[in-house]
Amino acid sequence: MVQSMDIRRRILEITSIASAIIIWEIIARIINKKYILPSFTEVVTAFLELVSGGELYRDILTSLNFFAIGMGVAIAVGIPLGIMMGWFKTIDKAVDPIIEMIRPIPPLAWIPFAILWFGLTQYAAGFVIFVGAVFPILVNTYTGFRNTPRVLVESGKVLGCIKNRDLIFRIALPAALPSIATGVRVGMGVGWMCVVAAEMFGVSTYGIGWKIWHWNDLHHMDMVLTYMLVLGLIALVIDRLFRYIVQEWWLKWQTGVVV
Amino acid sequence: MLSIKNLNKTYHTEEGDEVAALSDINLDVADKEFVCFIGPSGCGKTTLLRITAGLEKPDSGTLTVNNVPITGPGPDRGMVFQEYSLFPWRTVLKNVTFSLELKKIPKREREKISREFLELVGLSKFADSYPHELSGGMKQRVAIARALVNDPDLLLMDEPFGAVDAQTRNRLQHELLNIWEKKKKTVLFITHSVDEAVFLADTVVVFTARPGRIKEVISIDLPRPRERTSFEANAFREHLLATLGAEIQAAID
Amino acid sequence: MIIQPLKIIAAILITGIILVSGCTSTPVQNGDEPTGLTELRFGYQPSTHQIAYMAADAKGWWLEDLEPYGITSTKDYLFPTGAPEMLAMLAGEIDVAYVGSTPPLSAIDQGLEAKIVAGVQTQGSDIVLANDLPYESPQDLVGLKIATFPPGTLQDTVLRKWLLDNDIDPKEDLSIISMTSSGAAKTALASGNVDAIFLPHPHPTVAESEGYGKVVVQSGEMWADHACCVVLVSQKLIDEHPEIVEQIIRTHIKATQYIIDNPDEAARIFSNKITAVPYDVSSQSIQDWDGEWVSDPNIELATALEYAKVQYDLGYTDKLLTQDDLFDLSFYNKVIAEMDEE
Ligand SMILES: Nc1ncnc2c1ncn2[C@@H]1O[C@H](COP(=O)(O)OP(=O)(O)OP(=O)(O)O)[C@@H](O)[C@H]1O
Ligand SMILES: [Mg+2]
Repeated sequence: MVQSMDIRRRILEITSIASAIIIWEIIARIINKKYILPSFTEVVTAFLELVSGGELYRDILTSLNFFAIGMGVAIAVGIPLGIMMGWFKTIDKAVDPIIEMIRPIPPLAWIPFAILWFGLTQYAAGFVIFVGAVFPILVNTYTGFRNTPRVLVESGKVLGCIKNRDLIFRIALPAALPSIATGVRVGMGVGWMCVVAAEMFGVSTYGIGWKIWHWNDLHHMDMVLTYMLVLGLIALVIDRLFRYIVQEWWLKWQTGVVV
Repeated sequence: MLSIKNLNKTYHTEEGDEVAALSDINLDVADKEFVCFIGPSGCGKTTLLRITAGLEKPDSGTLTVNNVPITGPGPDRGMVFQEYSLFPWRTVLKNVTFSLELKKIPKREREKISREFLELVGLSKFADSYPHELSGGMKQRVAIARALVNDPDLLLMDEPFGAVDAQTRNRLQHELLNIWEKKKKTVLFITHSVDEAVFLADTVVVFTARPGRIKEVISIDLPRPRERTSFEANAFREHLLATLGAEIQAAID
Repeated sequence: MIIQPLKIIAAILITGIILVSGCTSTPVQNGDEPTGLTELRFGYQPSTHQIAYMAADAKGWWLEDLEPYGITSTKDYLFPTGAPEMLAMLAGEIDVAYVGSTPPLSAIDQGLEAKIVAGVQTQGSDIVLANDLPYESPQDLVGLKIATFPPGTLQDTVLRKWLLDNDIDPKEDLSIISMTSSGAAKTALASGNVDAIFLPHPHPTVAESEGYGKVVVQSGEMWADHACCVVLVSQKLIDEHPEIVEQIIRTHIKATQYIIDNPDEAARIFSNKITAVPYDVSSQSIQDWDGEWVSDPNIELATALEYAKVQYDLGYTDKLLTQDDLFDLSFYNKVIAEMDEE
């Protein structure tokens, strides 16, 4: 029963993707201008060329490197700061106005300063991704801490967990983990979107984002579309992987899907 | 064992209102005594328990446990909350070992001790389950084990069986009495149920409507194990109901 | 092989086809109707290379000369580099583009229907090196970071070829950093993030005047008489309004001659249009540069075909573009023949 439902859902999924591809192919063939809409077959051909040439791996690794730098710092800054603000009211009051000022600024607006502060290096690209990723992480960590059920903190106190350090690490942090996981996940989504912009200003001659601009400058729209799809596909893989890790390891104690 | 003298407590709400919760409380509890608190809703029972636990400070008055003043939470007092309070990210066993971890007791030993307490509350089989896999009654039994493992002299229980069905509740009362007899703890137990109080308590403390004062202290000098439906038990019940009824009426007025 | 089954499935998906043809049939019909053209759309860049366009515009010659052909208004779009300008042309937003001779290559390769019909100028880009760095030969650039316009632009193409001619591998021996605007490149030089920039005029003079660096090589030294900007017109305009194309060339020749004869006036026109560059700087730029304004496309033909070869070798174009793919010299030759008769 359950199995047949599963199979039916699969069939539906495959049919929907297949028809999207077919419609795409038909539209592209009717328009018949590669630079307006490359067809599915053209994109597949371009993709296979990229894979066999090995260039794609270097692009992916370059982008993932920037992404890892940005995400790493975003996590290293966002979670501790979120914890401090969530736990200590004075820190919250002192830092919150500054955060609220900076938060609405789009990550792309930071590009000039990214270059001036970090030069044309991987850290400049990482910085732009960091700006995109840090706030969702910070805000969700903060909210998670703020919403720690009072009864859990008091249970801890009654059981001998009195010091702030113990209360933070043994109670508030684990209680906030689902919220933090959501923040990291949203942050990764935003950060990955910033990759395209982060690679625009010439920190490398490889990278998925850079190649989108590169091939756009040369009007090879089949390549542009191929790299766009690669960008989306990797985002999907990262997200699924993260969700799997979180559910299997981190938040096994939770009921159902919360992340 | 526990001595409360001239205790007063007024809450100041964020809107600036004052809520007098407890007024002039004087109470002495003997060692190993099982005391039930009963009174209209909002009369300050939880407040008194929380002050005893050290989670709240009184405005005036003194509290001592074994002649030591209470300044904050301490290992001599354990508490079981009205709400479910297990750490959801820890297994049942790890919930119980929590206080022992803080005391830096080696893993093996603390798990051995904890398993004994799980045995005591009849949940050995669920040691590796997560709280969300347990029923409400089971959660409260784990909470009791978690409080007991710390070996407190005084066990504070705030309507621990308030949210479970009547049958389970009867069973849990039996189990609690068994544990109490085995471990010989002093217990402060809040309840809304006259039946529960008469079945469990050595002493029942009846509170007035807010601001809570102690209206009456009744000794239930019935032999144990008790018959829920004995003639004497019924007499205590009727007395308590009459006293309470007046207070509840006062609370509504 | 993959196409065949796809076609069969496609045939089954009638709804999809109806939907699609419903969307696309209208523009196709519109495109077939002959248009009474009243507005001409130009694309250009903020460079002294293209003052001919700005001069004709400032003098009102475009409207004046084209009015007999039914043109009642002109519109222009300013682009930081040739790449987005070609993208706009691909999208059908521009009829006439003043642009470097390389950006059209990849665009035409990818399906842009347009032809080069006139020349604009040759040479005219410089390498500006940070003040504290020495320069005696191209070898001094090894290990440096040089910012220029993105791959496929004229500057990128000339720079790479020149480096290769001097046994410097542009991929391994130094890094070429692509910048989407001259402003970004100048900022990078000013802040020390790159060591040199290679840009068209007036930007080298601007960078020098602001003290960011010094001009060390002019592009004429890198590739003598190399083609630079051209006039590119859409095939649609050529097919539907050849008379307008002819007049555009006549006006362009007139404007080119005017700025050659009046360089001071040319500088003034440029600074009026591109207000970020003051008159004294654009005047200085026109004095210093090695560029030459021309209107004859034949002058640019040879190097343009060499660029096509370079871009093909780099994999920027799928096919090796020929003169017929890129140029339509008939208009210029006809106009010149007529002028000679007069
Ligand atoms: N943190 C607080 N701030 C303000 N008022 C409070 C606070 N905690 C409790 N009160 C008020 O103090 C009074 C006593 O509360 P308490 O929880 O002790 O009552 P209770 O006897 O336990 O009631 P119940 O039987 O319903 O649990 C109530 O009126 C309550 O609204
Ligand atoms: Mg209560």
